[in-house]
Formats: sequence, structure tokens, C-alpha cells
Amino acid sequence: MLVIHIQLYSILREKLPEEAKGRADLQFELGSTLTDLLGELGISRRVVISMNDEHETDRTRELQDGDEIKIFSSISGG
Amino acid sequence: MSHGYNGKILHVDLTEGHLSVEEPDEAFFRKYMGGSAMAMYYLLNDMAPGVDPLGPENVLVLALSVLTGTAVSGQSRMTAAAKSPLTGGIGDSQGGGFFPAEMKFAGFDAIVIKGKAEKPVYLWINEGEYELRDASHLWGKITGEAEAALKEELDDNKIEVLQIGPAGEKMVRFAGIFSMSNRANGRTGMGAVMGSKNLKAVVVRGKKRPSVADKARVNQLARWGSSNLADSDIAGLAKYGTAETTGSNQTSGTLPAYNFNSGVFDGWEAIDGTTMYDTILKGAAEGKQDREGRDTCYACTVRCKRVAEIKEGKYKVDPHYGGPEYETTSTFGNYNAIDDLAAIAKANELCNKYGMDSISCGATISWAYEAFNEGKLTLEDTDGLDLTWGNADSMVKLTEKIAKREGFGDVLAEGSARAAEKIGRGTEEYLITFKGQEAPAHMPRVKRSLAVIYATNPFGADHQSSEHDPAIEGDFEFYTDRMAVLGFTEEQETRSLSDEKIRFAMASQHMYSTMDSLNLCQFVYGPAWQLYGPDDMVELVRAVTGWERVNFEELQIVGERRLNMMRMFNAREGIDRKADVVPDKLFKPLKGGVSEGWKLDRDEVEAALDKYFEFCGWDVETGIPTAEKLEELDLGWVVAE
Ligand code: SF4
Repeated sequence: MLVIHIQLYSILREKLPEEAKGRADLQFELGSTLTDLLGELGISRRVVISMNDEHETDRTRELQDGDEIKIFSSISGG
Repeated sequence: MSHGYNGKILHVDLTEGHLSVEEPDEAFFRKYMGGSAMAMYYLLNDMAPGVDPLGPENVLVLALSVLTGTAVSGQSRMTAAAKSPLTGGIGDSQGGGFFPAEMKFAGFDAIVIKGKAEKPVYLWINEGEYELRDASHLWGKITGEAEAALKEELDDNKIEVLQIGPAGEKMVRFAGIFSMSNRANGRTGMGAVMGSKNLKAVVVRGKKRPSVADKARVNQLARWGSSNLADSDIAGLAKYGTAETTGSNQTSGTLPAYNFNSGVFDGWEAIDGTTMYDTILKGAAEGKQDREGRDTCYACTVRCKRVAEIKEGKYKVDPHYGGPEYETTSTFGNYNAIDDLAAIAKANELCNKYGMDSISCGATISWAYEAFNEGKLTLEDTDGLDLTWGNADSMVKLTEKIAKREGFGDVLAEGSARAAEKIGRGTEEYLITFKGQEAPAHMPRVKRSLAVIYATNPFGADHQSSEHDPAIEGDFEFYTDRMAVLGFTEEQETRSLSDEKIRFAMASQHMYSTMDSLNLCQFVYGPAWQLYGPDDMVELVRAVTGWERVNFEELQIVGERRLNMMRMFNAREGIDRKADVVPDKLFKPLKGGVSEGWKLDRDEVEAALDKYFEFCGWDVETGIPTAEKLEELDLGWVVAE
């Protein structure tokens, strides 16, 4: 098992209980990917992901123990 | 029978004090549809080239569309257009709120204003009746006070007031026109034009709802929007405001910081939409901000507007003046490396009280910050204000000084391009202006189609004139159906300036240009992430007007027509491709974060501009629409000028 730390912003925070303020530590099987994480959280719309302070666009990227992941819902213009 | 519009244009000659009504036929409304395209028709016809933008010969048009005032989201917007005192070319800006719908209910589709009143006046339109009234007692008042005085004077709380603040009166070159004391037709200095005419306000009241061809279909569209909002891509924008985008821009290296020297800002989280929601929105302390801290435009289900309230501390903020958008948290915040949300909300309040565009204001201040940090400006120049990056107090003070044209503020009130010319000392190198207008908070070094659009846009840098690159890059898979309507079926590489990308920039620009002529909100309608897509827009036009043969191609031509009229307006002023320039700064590499080292390439940009002009059907050498193109767009009368 591995543990990752997530922080969700704006409307995505509502995927977690309100008092969590978008923050959670989640457990995943070894070999799990960003797609698994998004599936677990029930996120199917367009998001922008920061993984350990890097912009990560590859959804097949494997999660590593201790990863810090920020997920943003966002419009792309405006 | 005509539907959607009143068929009435009010012409106001302020010099003569003469008002008259023109009643164009249906073909006119079908051809221009309203808003910006309609405004261009009057500007090209009623104004001679070469006039002083701040002189009586300039013409100011306030225009609605055939959709304004119908009960569906995203339609209560208005165009303000005139020759711009900021750029010297065409000026154009869009604003929302409740004024546009109310002006429609009061009986008019547009107001065309010429001349200059001898002393301050306001225009009062009430149920189709109109008159000019003395505004001497309102001159000098901030927006909230003038609005309250007018409500008392006219003894009606339901009037809608469109006005300039003291900055417009003093002709700050980026002064805007405001309604509700917090909704702005912000860009290109339209407030300065209104001020130069001694016109303090336009006040409207009316109850006549526009007729609609097929009410059931309009209602169906409205219901669809309300029930799909929560699952749409703008759900976050609705609840957390436009500043929800701060974090994703930080992540992708597109958050302009340190006056566009960097695409990342360490302090971003203190000023983003989520923090704003949790802290300074009205009602946040009691958890009631969802109800009290959000506001809307007439009939819009989205409610994206912010209402900030700060009762304690150094910067108290009055909720009457709304709250900052992403552009404002950026230009006052990350542009200047400032992470003090209260100070930013204060600067936003000052812009709305005094009536200034917060984009040009914050960006002009950012130019001064860089000049100061590079040693090109000293405390002597800045009236003793320390403009070290991150200094929030100086930013707030400077905002007020600009509004009042006091000391160094008077220099900056001319906009950064004129300020740099006046100061010299090599400070031109810090400009991020296109045709003299300061760039909004997006990053052309990463979203490269913006370099082409910003450079060629007739009224300078504008982020709401085209769809940004991500829609045809990594996000493409989410919007394939909508993008296919525009003719795009293949994803393009990130940071590319491929031919297909340039075609996308142009086609989406035409669609945005159409939306500015239909006066539709570009958060609600658009080609990608917006609530409604291109097909919905067509359906709305059909259902409201009854023009069942309208299709997407016809609407795109309305947008293309407007854009071509704007290029022709500029051509008459001697503004051509030579003015389609990307500022030097954007050819220098970004520093820090994910976008470290990214920059534009001069040859690539020039080649992209060639392509763009070719695709537009404009002369590649001059960037001016060809006679054939104008004929094709049924604009032969413009050639004859
Ligand atoms: S989305 Fe926001 S700005 Fe647009 S019409 Fe609705 S409330 Fe107004």
C-alpha cells in the first residue's frame, strides 16, 4: 500500500467532507495511477493536476508513496 | 413581426441637446444582430477619421442585441464602443449586470451619443420617454453615492444607473463605464470618452419585456442550463468565482507574475478563489457566503460575481462595490508579487468607486513596480512610495492617486505606454502593452495563439476575444463535439503555432466576436468549457427572434463582419499591420517554475501573423481587409469610405 496526500480546490473540495477543506491522505495499491485516483474521487471533468509541484498531464502516471497532489477544477480561459 | 428587439435607436447630440429616434428595419438587425457589430456600423458611419478621442467629434455607442433581456442565462450584457483614448484606434468593451436588460425594457436597442454637453448632464430614459437632465450636483461623486442620489432624485429604487466615476470625469485613459457600482465596461477607456462629453450617467427604467418568438423553447434552454450547471465545467467558476483559475494557472506556469517576468507566484494560494470564498466573501464568517457573497446578472443562473466584505483591519471593503475577479487578483496581486487579498480587494473597491479598468490600472502599476525594482524609477518619481515587489500598501495608495490624477498617479493615469514614453530611461522595455492597451492575466509565451490574437486584435490585448489554446491542446478530448462544430477534429501540440492552431484562433475569435455582437456572456456560451455550446447559441437566436434559418455559419459571419469593420476603422486611422506588434518582453524567457525558459520566437510569430492574415482574407503586407473580403461580408459600403 502507499499513502498519498491530496489537496482539492474550489468545487472539487466537495468530493470530501466539508471539514476536510479539500485535504486528505488516501491509500492506494502499488501500481495505481492518476486515473485510479481521479476514479476514486469521482472526478470525470477536466482538471489540472500538480504532482509534487510539477504540472502532470499524463494520467497513466503511477502514484508513489508520499506524493503531494493538488487538483484544480478550472476554466481554461476567462 | 419582429421579436427580441425594440427596433429603436436613440441618437443623442449633447452639443445641441437634441434627441431623436431611428427605427431601422429587420434586415439591419439580422445583419448586425446588435452589440459590437451594430456599434461598429454607427462608428464607421457617424464619425470622421482622425478625430480626437477625447473631443466632441468622438461618438460613443451603447448597444444591446436581439437577445438582451430574454429570460435565459448570460444575455444581460452591453457593448460600449468609441474611438479609444488609450489606443487611438477602435475602443470596445463589454459589461454585464442588470442595466442592459433594463435598457431593453425601457424601449431601446442602442444609444448613439455625439458632441459634448456644456455642463454635466445625465440621460434619463423612462418607459420609452427620454430627456437630458442636469448632473452638476453629481459631478465629482463616487459611483455608489451618485447612484444613491439618482435613486432619491427620481424616487425609484428600481432604476438602473450606468455611469462614470471621478476617474472618468478626469479622463484617466483607462477609465471605464460602470453599473451597479461594480459592473464594468472596463477596457479601452470608454469612461474617459463619456467624461469628455460631460455625460455623467445614463439612467433607465422600463417594464416592457421583449417579445420572444418561441417562449417554450427559450424556457427549455433556460431550464437545461439551470439543471446542468452543477455538472458543467463552470460549476467551480460559479461558486468560487473567476479567481478559481489562479491555482491551475500557477500549475501550468501561466500565472503572470513580476510584470510577466515569471509564470508562477509563490503567494498564489493566499489570493485564489478558494481562499476568497473562505475568507472575504460577504457572509463567510457565518458560512453564509454562498447566499450573501455571490451576485448575478439579470436572469443568470450562474451567479459568478463576487461580493467582498471586510469589516476589520487595515483595509475595510464595502460590499456595495462587489469583489475582485481573477483579472483583478492578478493585475494587483501576482503581477506585483502581492499576496495580500485584503489590499487587492481594496484596490478593486477603489477601481469601482472611482470608475477605472482594474486590468489596465493594476498592469500599469506593475510596469512602475518593475521600473522601480530595476532602479529606473526612484522615490522622487513616485512621491515617496516604495514600489518594491510585494509592497501592498503602495499599490493601494497608487490606485487612489491614479483615480484622482494626483502626483505620480497623474503620470500613470495616461496608461503605461504613455508613462514609459514620458519617463524614458529605457522603461519601454517593461511594457506589456499591445496597441497601447495593457495585457490581461494570461500567458502568450505558453498559450501561443494569444500572441497572434493580442497582436492583431483591433483594440489591443484582450483575453475574451478568442478561445485559449488548451481547448485544442490537452483538453481537446473533453470538447470534441463542440470543437467539431467549429471545424476542428484534431488535437494540437502544446505551445505550437501550427496552421491548424492559427485557424482555431481565428475561428474561435469569430465566435467570440459574434458573442460580443449578440452580447452573450463568454462564461455561459462558447466553443469549449462554457455552459452552452455553439449549437445552443444557434437555438437561442432562433427561438428568440424566430429567424429559423439562422445557422452557425451565419452567426460566425456576424462576428467576422464585426472584426472586419474594426480593422477598417483602424485602417482609416492609419493603423495597420505595423501596429500588430508583440511587446519585446514576451520574446524573453520566463523565469521560475514549470514555464522556466519558455519564450516566443520572433520569426515564428511573424510567420504566424502572415498565416493569420491570409486565413482572414486580409492583405498580408498591411493587415487590412481586402475589397473582396469586405464585399463577401456585405460590407461594400465600408470600401466606399
Ligand atoms: S456567468 Fe457571471 S458574468 Fe456571466 S452573465 Fe452570469 S453572473 Fe453575469
